[in-house]
Formats: sequence, structure tokens, C-alpha cells
Amino acid sequence: MKLPILGQAPQAAEGDRLPWRSIAGREDRRGHPSEFPAGAAEAPEGFSRRGFLQILGASVALAGLEACKPPRDTIHPYVRNPEKAVAPGAALHYATAVGWGTAAVGLLVTVHEGRPTKVEGNPDHPASLGGSGAFEQALLLDLYDPRRLRGFVRKGQPLSQRAALRALAQLAESHRDDGGKHLRFLTGESGSPLLADLRRRIEGRYPGARFHVYESLSADEAREGTRAAFGRPMEARLRLDRARVVLALDDDFLSFGAERLRLARELAASRTPGPGMSRLYAAEAHLSATGSLADHRFRMRPSQVLAFARAVARRLAEKHGMGALAAAGQAFPEREREASAVADDLARAGAAALVTAGSRQPAAVHALAAAINAALGAAGKTVEYRPAADEPSGPASLRALAAAIGAGQVDTLVITARNPVYGAPADMDLDALLARVPNVVYLASRPDETTGRASFLVAASHAFESWGDARAADGTVSLCQPLIEPLFESLSEPELLGSFVDAGDRGGHFLVQELWRARGPAGAPFEQSWQRWLAKGVVEGTAVAPEAPAVRAGEVAALLRAGTPGREGLEASFVPDPTLVDGRFAENAWMQELPDPITKMTWDNAALVSAATARRLGLENGRRVELRLRGRKVEAPIWIAPGHADDAVTLPLGYGRTVAGPTGTNVGFDAGRLRGSDAFWLDGGLALAPVGKRKHAFACTQEHFSMEGRDLAPSFTLAGLAQGQHELEKLRGPVASLQAPVDADSPIRWGMAIDLNKCTGCSACTIACQAENNIPVVGKEQVARSREMHWIRVDRYFEGPVEDPQVVTQPVACVHCEKAPCEYVCPVNATVHSDEGLNEMIYNRCVGTRYCSNNCPYKVRRFNFFEYQKPKAPTEKMLMNPDVTVRHRGVMEKCTYCVQRIELHRVAARVAGRELRDGEIQTACQQACPAQAIQFGNLADGKSAISAWHADPRRYDLLHEVGTKPRTAYLARVRNPNPELA
Amino acid sequence: MSALFGRQANTTIRMVLAAAGLGAVGILSALLIFARVPAGTRQLDEVVQPVQFDHRHHVVDDAIDCRYCHQGVEKGASAGIPSTALCMNCHAQVWSKSPRLEPVRQSYFTGKPIPWVRVHQVPDFVYFNHSIHVAKGVGCETCHGRVDQMPGIWQVAPLTMGWCLDCHRNPGPSLRPRDAVTKMGWKPEGDPAALAAQLMKAHDVKTRTSCTTCHR
Repeated sequence: MKLPILGQAPQAAEGDRLPWRSIAGREDRRGHPSEFPAGAAEAPEGFSRRGFLQILGASVALAGLEACKPPRDTIHPYVRNPEKAVAPGAALHYATAVGWGTAAVGLLVTVHEGRPTKVEGNPDHPASLGGSGAFEQALLLDLYDPRRLRGFVRKGQPLSQRAALRALAQLAESHRDDGGKHLRFLTGESGSPLLADLRRRIEGRYPGARFHVYESLSADEAREGTRAAFGRPMEARLRLDRARVVLALDDDFLSFGAERLRLARELAASRTPGPGMSRLYAAEAHLSATGSLADHRFRMRPSQVLAFARAVARRLAEKHGMGALAAAGQAFPEREREASAVADDLARAGAAALVTAGSRQPAAVHALAAAINAALGAAGKTVEYRPAADEPSGPASLRALAAAIGAGQVDTLVITARNPVYGAPADMDLDALLARVPNVVYLASRPDETTGRASFLVAASHAFESWGDARAADGTVSLCQPLIEPLFESLSEPELLGSFVDAGDRGGHFLVQELWRARGPAGAPFEQSWQRWLAKGVVEGTAVAPEAPAVRAGEVAALLRAGTPGREGLEASFVPDPTLVDGRFAENAWMQELPDPITKMTWDNAALVSAATARRLGLENGRRVELRLRGRKVEAPIWIAPGHADDAVTLPLGYGRTVAGPTGTNVGFDAGRLRGSDAFWLDGGLALAPVGKRKHAFACTQEHFSMEGRDLAPSFTLAGLAQGQHELEKLRGPVASLQAPVDADSPIRWGMAIDLNKCTGCSACTIACQAENNIPVVGKEQVARSREMHWIRVDRYFEGPVEDPQVVTQPVACVHCEKAPCEYVCPVNATVHSDEGLNEMIYNRCVGTRYCSNNCPYKVRRFNFFEYQKPKAPTEKMLMNPDVTVRHRGVMEKCTYCVQRIELHRVAARVAGRELRDGEIQTACQQACPAQAIQFGNLADGKSAISAWHADPRRYDLLHEVGTKPRTAYLARVRNPNPELA
Repeated sequence: MSALFGRQANTTIRMVLAAAGLGAVGILSALLIFARVPAGTRQLDEVVQPVQFDHRHHVVDDAIDCRYCHQGVEKGASAGIPSTALCMNCHAQVWSKSPRLEPVRQSYFTGKPIPWVRVHQVPDFVYFNHSIHVAKGVGCETCHGRVDQMPGIWQVAPLTMGWCLDCHRNPGPSLRPRDAVTKMGWKPEGDPAALAAQLMKAHDVKTRTSCTTCHR
């Protein structure tokens, strides 16, 4: 008989039921190839052991008495107290908004003594609802980047701000004579009423001038699809709060766009287990965040998504009497069973159904989705339509500009678009074209591929330094207010465009006030409204009512008949990168080091293929290949992605920057160099040829901090949840212990709970924690050695076959064990328990033995192997949260449940003479989480939200059998599969 | 042949070893002691300020309350140093030509702050909050001493962790009624122990000694 070993997981009798983190780990369950990656235990390089000891000795000797008496600080009080002076050290919060394409997200920015230190979502803003994402959080790091462009350079000569504005005004004046016939603008997409107004004024003054809009993530296909369906382009705004059955056609709505935060909130809320639980279907090629949450994910080549949608339409027309879809339907024999089941489910849900198409899919898919929604009666319910800008923002737009430059019609080109030379399709040599334009005025925030072609380089103010306005997807206007004076001499986009209408020297504040003074409600005193709008972050009553456009079935059918170009052979599918997007965050170290939510890759991208395709092509993971597409080629490493469609290659954009700063230059490969303007998102005929013998070195965190193959993220079907109770029962409840309970009598016992059913894996928590707690980035080489510093990591477990796995994402931070193994082994009492159940980490006591980390079963402790917080540029110091100690080399650190926030609110409440209220304290991860998957509070208060979460039937404890009694509980993931597809 | 080591060799080496051992312990102890005596905690330091501000004069002669200048003390972590404009509230009229106030006027007219030298300095990993201490009835004098008798501010309390903990473990004797917080030379009337117990209750004092109360 085999005796059980204490703490060992039950043997994996379930076979495929046991989750896995990587393909290698799945094949070798016992071996666990890389619990400690190569080099994890090595001493810091650059020092020999002897040299290290010498330095250590010398520093002790030198420390001497001087260390006892550090130099005295000086205190610099205000000369005059500012208008809103509060006690020094106290933070203020200001509402603002940042644009993402045509829509915007409302934010609340925390400001310490005039420096923005943290970004939160604005609860009053319809696109945020209080949540924020990794991208919004990471904007802060961009603000303080010391390598941002400063000032103005014209033909190699630096100019002062005043001289630059004068030069711009002169340039503008020189185009007056011929009505601006040789003046062109290349801008990004924007929903800002101010920018639209400036454009109107410029077009009025220079009738010959033309604006071109370019985004490398253009939604032109959606625009054309809705134009076909409705006769004019419409913006589809999803309402997942009203949807019960959702079919996402290659639409990763949880990862990109200004609406992703609201959609995550609504989707998470609709997935509360019970009779009303929603069901999500996804049809896609690469495993996206949205697909990872789907109850049923149909993996297919991107070009097959249209066929799948048509099969759904056919079933709806034939079986459910939706005659309007009859012409659109078409059989798709391979997927008939799935398509029929989805169609039946959609039909059952009727007006609570929703079909959504991703912006990468061709116009026909968008038109068909609109037609299906209309036939289901869902249009106007689960999806709202509002008019969209009627101009192209993709390759067509650049083509028009290229033609004008080619014909010599452009003397001055003003570029405010984001790095168009990098983002342009590869077959359009914008670099060469720009060389032919005499005056290229380029508004850029940092050196990039386009700055070299600019004859007049204008440093751009950061979004947190500029005045402006923005619109949410529902039309609600927000004012954008600066949180800080521009750190360097720079202009904002409205200020640059303003110099073409004689308003360049007026400043952004004047421009935006002028516009809203004219547009504000009549009668009300403007100053009052203005202050209220600024304080609240939204201009009330500016939402646009959705329209109810009629679907033109004939046009949709005609578009479908016209067909989309055939995609022969291996398909190339370009996707925005989940962390760098289109390259806009390439110079942002937080985003570079943030593991991709699915592949868990950092500081890199790769060509993603399925295991079967890799086998067919004779490729293994990490092999470098040359990708060839229509005569264009680029070299890339291969990554075998579980759940990827066969015969397709997913190519994440945004990497391979050739001109960026020290962070982003030459990281990954530039998939954009394969991208053609006629096949912008999807193309066929990709060829792969292996290059060399060496494998690519990835810094992938998927096997880091592994908890040894235990079933840590159990998931259940809605029907199986009741039976699953006994399984969960084993993972919770009291455990025997010899020790006295730590805080049984305390009136406050802090606890956390994470609902895995709501977690989308987006990693907003990781970046929010990084910003709140002054967590450093360590670089690719250190990440490869498992030394990343993130206090909250998001573990991603696969379950089932490599071809088509299910996914559970699980954020793990310190779980604040009641019987904390780390505490017993610390020789200097640097980690101890508080009277309220916090597992405290005291940096000033820590001597760096790392015993605690070795004894932590959850692998949540992080060690400063180097002086990661190396001396910083003055602007970088401004980023630091003054309420959290900056740790130096040799110190252990970990999640504190944001104890600085606990103490801040406790002091405020106690000074006011009241008790802490439930929900008053939010940890950084909890506050950021767009899906509200994290709860925090006082377990001793039986009526608190956290107590309810801890009593949830889905609750379980991580590594319960170890007996650590963690204070962070998890709520198991529940799926709602369609019984017909079981 | 004579012995390589003399008769004294054993004794000598024992002496040397003992001296080395004692020396190591001694140096460490000396360092630890130094950090706790007034010379090490800076209680004896004389601090030269850019302006010879006289607390004695302002508190006693002018009877200005502490909170007139240290406005953050009830609201935030830091008590705060007054803005130059606040000095000028009076000194625009009083002593407006005094050469000693030249740095103040210069700051006011140039907009450059006066670089005061910090006297009470705790390490960066210590997060002290004035507002909670004032709200619970800890007097200014308790930590800062008889400011009304100081021509220039010096540090009275050692500001060591042991000193903090002494009070956090037994806060009663350091409490006063809230209206006496800024009084100098305040003495409890009647039985100090009874008053301490009464104030503990009235002010709902719950001192904490968990590490993260101060270290984060």
C-alpha cells in the first residue's frame, strides 16, 4: 500500500482534468521542467564572490557613525499656499479622460503635491464605472519617461516655445494665398469635440486643405460593414448587461478599446452562477482573453469566421423563420452541429441575444452580424447603434495621402497621428514619401521611426499635461484637465492645430473653454457648470440617444455574394498585442514586462501556431523562422499556442521597433512589415522557412512560481456545481493546528476574496499594484530567471487537450496565511503577524536570507536581487508613491493588502471619530479590477461584503491541505455550456 | 635550539583573541548605544536656520497658537511649515524693515521658498501621522518639549523606536484634554492615573504596536 505524503496532491487519476500551465509541463507532470529556471539561484553577476564580500566589508566599515546621523533634509514650504492646499502629504484626486480611438475612458488621477502618482477609473464615467485597465495605469510611466522629446526642432535648429509657435503661425500663413491647397494633415482617430471643431475651422480657413486619418488598428471594416447594412456607417455599442447569449465572431472586446472596462464589468456581472447566467460563444483563431472566458470556443481559421456566421444565419432562417436572413445563409458542413446549436440558443434568447464581430473581420461579417441582431430583435436592446465618422482611417486613407504626395501636391504635412511610418502597411513606403514633402511637422512624444523624417519636430504634451475634451462611446463628453504643468516644453494636439487658426499661443485651456462656453447650456452661469464638469469628469446630458436604423437585407446579401478574397494556404492573421497594442506602449517598461494574458510572454512577441501546424511544418517551440508573404519577409520565433487554429499564424503587432528608446528598440519582431494595404488584417499564402539552428530565448512566466501540479483552479459546469460541492468542501473549512489563533478576538480581521468566474485575466491588477507599491521592472534577462517583481501575478491554467483547452486565470498575491510558513523561518522577525491578521513585511528589518521565500508554498515573495530602484532621473522619482517605502537591494517584499491604504483610511476615520465603513478601503488591485473580481474587507464584520464572499458555496482555499489558513479565498470558475454541445 | 615560541606565547595569543572578541562586541555595542544616547539621536544638535525664528517670542509674547502656523497638524500626516505668505501676514507691518527678516521678504518677492532645516527627522521607512496623535489628545509638548522656552528649535525627544513604543504600550500618561493639546507647561489636575483612564475612554484611544502601523 502506498502511504499518502503530507501535503501532496491526490494522484492525477482524472487524467486530463488536471490543469497545466505549459505544453512542456503537461507532457512531464512529475518532472516539472522549470520550477527554477536556469540561473535562478546564481549570485549576482558582475561581482565575484570575493569582490562582493570586499564591497560588503568596506560598506560596513564606511557606514560607521555616519549612518547613525544621515544628513539633515531641508523643508521647502509654499511661498503662497495654493488655492486647494490641504495638509502636506495628503493626496488629491482629479477627474480627466484619455481617448482610445474615437471613444474615451474617464479617469480619476491621484496627485501628491502636484505630481500624478496613480490612475484610477472614474465611477461617474460610463466607460469606466470605476475600473481601470493596465493601459490607463501605464500612462503614468510614459508621463515621467526622461527620454521624452523636449522642445522644438526645426531643420536641426532648436527653437524656444515662443519661436516655435511663431514659426508655426508663419507656416500656416504661407498657405493662406492658395487656400491651403498644399496643406495636409495626418491625424489619429479622435472623438474630441474640440479637435473636430478645430478641424472645421481649419477647413473653413483653408478650403483646399485635406485631413487624413490613420490608425494602424483601423476599424474600417466595421464601418464598411455597417454602411452596407444600414446605408451609413454606424458604431455598435454592446450592452452585455442586457445580453444572455453572446456570439463573439473573432471579437476580443475584453482586451482592446475604450469600452473594454465596461464590457468586462457587464460580462462578469452576467455570469453570476444561477438560472440567469449568460452564455458566451467565441469563434476565433488564436486564444484571446474573450475566447478564454467563452463557454464554447470554436477555433477556426480567421477566414472561416464568415462561413460560420453564415451557417448560423442559415439555421436561423430555416429553423426559426427569420426570413430576412435567408439570402445570407450558407451551409458550412464542417461546423454544422456547432452553428446549429449556437443559432438555436440565440433564437431562444431572442432580444437578449447578441452577435458581435471583431474589427479585424471583413465588412461582410459586420454586415451579417448587424442583420442577425436585427432579425433576433436584439438591435437596440443588446446592441446600440450610433452614427460613426464617415471617413476611412485605414490604408485607404493613407493611399489618398500617398497619391497627393506622389503628385507633388503637398508642401506641408502636419502629422499628429501616432508614428505613421511604423504603423503604415509595409507596401506603402511612407518613409520615402515623407522625404518628398518639404515641410513635415510632426507632433511626437518620443523619438520614433517617424521623427527622422520630420523637418519640424514638435514635442507632444502628455495626456496628463494637456487640456482637451473627449467623448465616451455613448457620446458623453468629458473634459480632460492637466494634472501637472508640462514637464518639458511641449504642445498638445489642440494647441498645434490651433496655430493654424491663429490660436496657437492661446493655450489649450482657452481653446477648450471657448468651445464649451459656446456649447454649454444656455442660462446657467458658465463658470459654475465648468467647475462641476471638471470635478465630476463628465458633462451631464451629452450622451447621444441610440438610433434604430433599418437593415437593408438586400445590400447585406449582395456584400456576402461579392465574397471576400480567398485565403489560400497558410493564413496570416495580424492582431494588436495585448500589452503593447500597436506599439504605443513599446517604450513603456511596465507593459513590456507585463506577461501576455494568455501566452505569459514578456519582452517579446512570437508567431503563434497550433501544435498540429507546427508538427506539419516540422517546427518546435522557439525555432526561428523566416515568414514570407507576398514578397515581404520578416524573421520571427515560433510559439506553439494551445487552442490555436490549424493552418493559421497569428502575428502580434507593436514589436520590432527600430527607433525607440532603450526599453523598446529591437524587442520582438515587427509583424507590420508583412502587412499589406489590401489585406490589412488577414491574408493567405504565408510561407515559413526555418532559419539557423539556435532556438529563441523567451522570457515566459508561465512556469514561474508553479505550485507543483495541484488542482489549484478547479472549475465546474453550472449543472455540475452542486455535485462539485463535495470537491470544494475538501478545499476549505477548519484545519487542525497546535498554535493559538492569531487574531480571533480582533474587531478587525482583514480578508480578501477573488472570484475566478469574473476574472478575465486582463492583468489590470498587476499594473495597478505596480504603480501603487513602487514595484520595479527587472528586464528580460531577470524575468527569464524568474525574478520578476510583480506582487500580484495572474496564473493561467489550461485544462484539457492542447488543441482546444479550457482556460482559468487566477490572480495570486500574498494570501496572508493565518499560519504563515514564512514567519516561522525568518531569523530577524522581519515578517510577522499583525493583530488584524496581516502578514507584515518589515523592509528595514530584512537582511535578505530568503528563507521566507523558500518556505512560502504560494511563491508570492519577491526578492530584490539587484538595486532595481537604481538612481533615477528626477522625473522618475516623481512617479513614486510617497506612502510606500522604496525597497533596495537585498530586501524581500510582497503584497501587503495595501496596508498604506488601510492606515490612511483608518487614521481619517479615527480622527473623524467614527469606525471604518465596509467598502471604504479598497486595495489597488480591487479598485482597478474592471470586472470587480476582487473583494476586500473585514471578516470580523458578519455583514461585510467580504464575509458574504467567504461564505459563498464556490469558495475554496488555495493549498488548503497545507494548513496555512489563507485569508484570501477564491471562488471557483463556473461555465455554462450548452447541453446540446456537450 | 631555542623554542620557536617563547614562554609568553600562549598567554599573548589568548590575550589577543580575547581583545579581538571583546573589541568586536565592544564596537557593536558602542554603535548600538550611540544610536540611543542624546549624542546619537541628535538631541544635542544645534540647528542653524536660514531665519533666526524665535518660537519663545512668538508663543509667549505674541500668544500665537501652534496651529496658526502648523496648519496641517489636525488634518494630515505632516504638521507643515507655514508658507512665506503667512509670515508676511504680520511681517508686512511688524518688523517690516528688520534685516533679520530679509530672507523672508526675499522669498516672498522672488517666489523661492525658504530652505528651513529639518529638526525632527524620522527615517524614510517610518510613517508618522500628526493628525491622529492630536485627535487622541497627545500634546505638542509631549514630543516637542517646551517650545515656548526655545529660542531656536531643538529636538527634545530621542525619536527612537523604543521611545515610540513606550507610549504606544502605555498611552494614558501622555494624554490631555483636547483643548490642552497646544498648551505649554500643562499639568494634570487631580489624580493623573484617573485622568489618564478617563481620557483613554473619552478619546477612544486604541494604540497599536503592529509593525505596519508605522512601517509600510
